[in-house]
Amino acid sequence: MSDTRLKAPDKLNGETGARLFDEARRICRKDIKTLILDLSQTRDMDSLGGAWLLKIAEYARRRGGEFKWEGQPEAIADFMAMLAPALKMKPRPARKEPGMFESLSDALTGAACEFAEFLNLCVDAIYWTAVAPFEGKGFRFDAFLDEAHEMGVRAIRIVCLMNFLLGLIIAMLSAKQVEAFGMQIYVANLIMIGFARELAAIMTATVVSARTGAAIAAELATMKVQEEIDALRGMGINVAQYLIAPKLLALLVVLPCLVTLGLISGLAGGAVWGVFVLGFRPSIWYQQTLGAAYMDDIIQGMLKTVFFAIAIALIGCHNGLRVAGGSRGVGLMTTRAVVMDIFMLICIDIVFAAIFYYLLG
Amino acid sequence: MEDIIIKVTDLVAHYGDFKVLDGVSFEVRRGEIFMIVGGSGCGKSTLLKHLCGLMRPTSGEILFQGKNVAAMDEDELAEMQHTIGIAFQSSGLFNSMTVGDNVAMPMREFGNVDEALIDNLVRFKLSLVGLAAAQYLMPGELSGGMRKRAGLARAIALDPALVYFDEPSAGLDPIIAAGLDEMILKLKRMLKTTFVIVTHELESIRLVADRVLMLDKGKVVFCGALDEAMTAPIERLRQFFDRRPDEYIT
Ligand SMILES: Nc1ncnc2c1ncn2[C@@H]1O[C@H](COP(=O)(O)OP(=O)(O)OP(=O)(O)O)[C@@H](O)[C@H]1O
Ligand SMILES: [Mg+2]
Repeated sequence: MSDTRLKAPDKLNGETGARLFDEARRICRKDIKTLILDLSQTRDMDSLGGAWLLKIAEYARRRGGEFKWEGQPEAIADFMAMLAPALKMKPRPARKEPGMFESLSDALTGAACEFAEFLNLCVDAIYWTAVAPFEGKGFRFDAFLDEAHEMGVRAIRIVCLMNFLLGLIIAMLSAKQVEAFGMQIYVANLIMIGFARELAAIMTATVVSARTGAAIAAELATMKVQEEIDALRGMGINVAQYLIAPKLLALLVVLPCLVTLGLISGLAGGAVWGVFVLGFRPSIWYQQTLGAAYMDDIIQGMLKTVFFAIAIALIGCHNGLRVAGGSRGVGLMTTRAVVMDIFMLICIDIVFAAIFYYLLG
Repeated sequence: MEDIIIKVTDLVAHYGDFKVLDGVSFEVRRGEIFMIVGGSGCGKSTLLKHLCGLMRPTSGEILFQGKNVAAMDEDELAEMQHTIGIAFQSSGLFNSMTVGDNVAMPMREFGNVDEALIDNLVRFKLSLVGLAAAQYLMPGELSGGMRKRAGLARAIALDPALVYFDEPSAGLDPIIAAGLDEMILKLKRMLKTTFVIVTHELESIRLVADRVLMLDKGKVVFCGALDEAMTAPIERLRQFFDRRPDEYIT
């Protein structure tokens, strides 16, 4: 329990620093009070030497001792003056690993907060889209048209192509299965029911969430990072009104249209297989397809798309606005938005499937 | 004769058809602070980019420690760039890491420092620029002057023989700018680093520079010691140091 002295070498560099540290460790075995470094011999010092000095100070302090230095000659006085704050700094407390319950409760409260935030955003967005315009509070119609063009018109090609190919694939698959029974004409029924109820909606919504959902999230996240969102707020403009409402309404209008196009493309894909490969007369295939579905089936498929549109738009906005940090945060939030979108689509889909199964048969 | 670290001869550079540098020649000595001055758009930043190998000249020679930067291939260039430090005008810190990790990055990538010592080495470098307390902050949490200094700390991470610094004090208040000048002088003394600095600040030229290079329209107007620069009877130079606007020269 006393002062311990340590003599620094004439040149303090990586090698001699490491040796000095070893020596410090040896004499600091017993619990010390003060470690005094005698610098009177030291004429020269480089970065690695300085780093070892900091390490020695940190070590002494971790042992509960104090670190002091004395006798520094002119040559390294500047160094020591600049290092002083760092040498006196307390070691950073080691971060405690949270326990299982702690991290579980953290995760739960985090999720609850996020959900509350999301609900808030939903209410805001729906108010500014569906109510406020009728109260005369204004709606950015130009922005809506722009968005509708970007989200809708420019997505037509990819949506049609994907659905057409899917129709073709399903026709191929199912024709093989029923070939033995000679019931290949029923492939037309399968395609019609499948696309009207499920496939057109889910396929189109997936394409749109990868395209538009990601774009919304990335755009808002970048705006937030570059303080554009703060600039809007600072001008007294409501973000939900200015940015979110046009996007939401555009997607609400555009997605059902895209799904309709997707449905037609899927049927066309099936028909190409039925007519050109299976050899049915076009009129027969046409009659069979039309007779396969009722209006109910189509309504069921279309009703979902409204919810899909809301989910894609709002999840994109929600994740975009939650961004923290710079460029990396933008990437993370965009990824998160698309993953959440696709998961949400399936959840909505299963709810609808269950409802229609039990209520309508 | 002092040791020469950079020797540029007849450097000519173009952007497309536009000649930015026209026969520039000068020398930088080891351990000095060499300042490049000149009016806006005269090619200072372009010169700096050529010196550190980010751009290739049309013709001419840039010898860095005896090797021609203009004729190096990718590998040689990368090797050369590990021995220099560049502090960018807008700091160029990576937003996704803490200040400490920014400084540690070149050490982890290229240095052969023990991982256990890196933390201390980072704190050492940050102490040299007066930012030891900011090690665990994110760049977004720093002020403009702190960011400049953090950029400087990253530039000196690998103990480079030479540091390029583009407009260290542009946009900073005079107190912080003076602090930065002081720091550059200290670093030069302690680490024996050579500095090549582009600047507009008269005060910091008077205080810090050992030698000055003045460019005008891509040509060297003056290259010499600071006290010579303060007195030499060269119109453009006098105009610069006396802060006279263009219309007063006849
Ligand atoms: N990428 C580029 N393409 C074409 N011309 C360029 C480019 N960058 C710079 N220039 C031109 O080259 C000239 C020199 O530019 P440079 O950036 O080197 O000026 P500077 O001396 O650094 O000016 P400042 O003090 O304003 O930073 C300018 O006239 C500019 O217009
Ligand atoms: Mg410039």
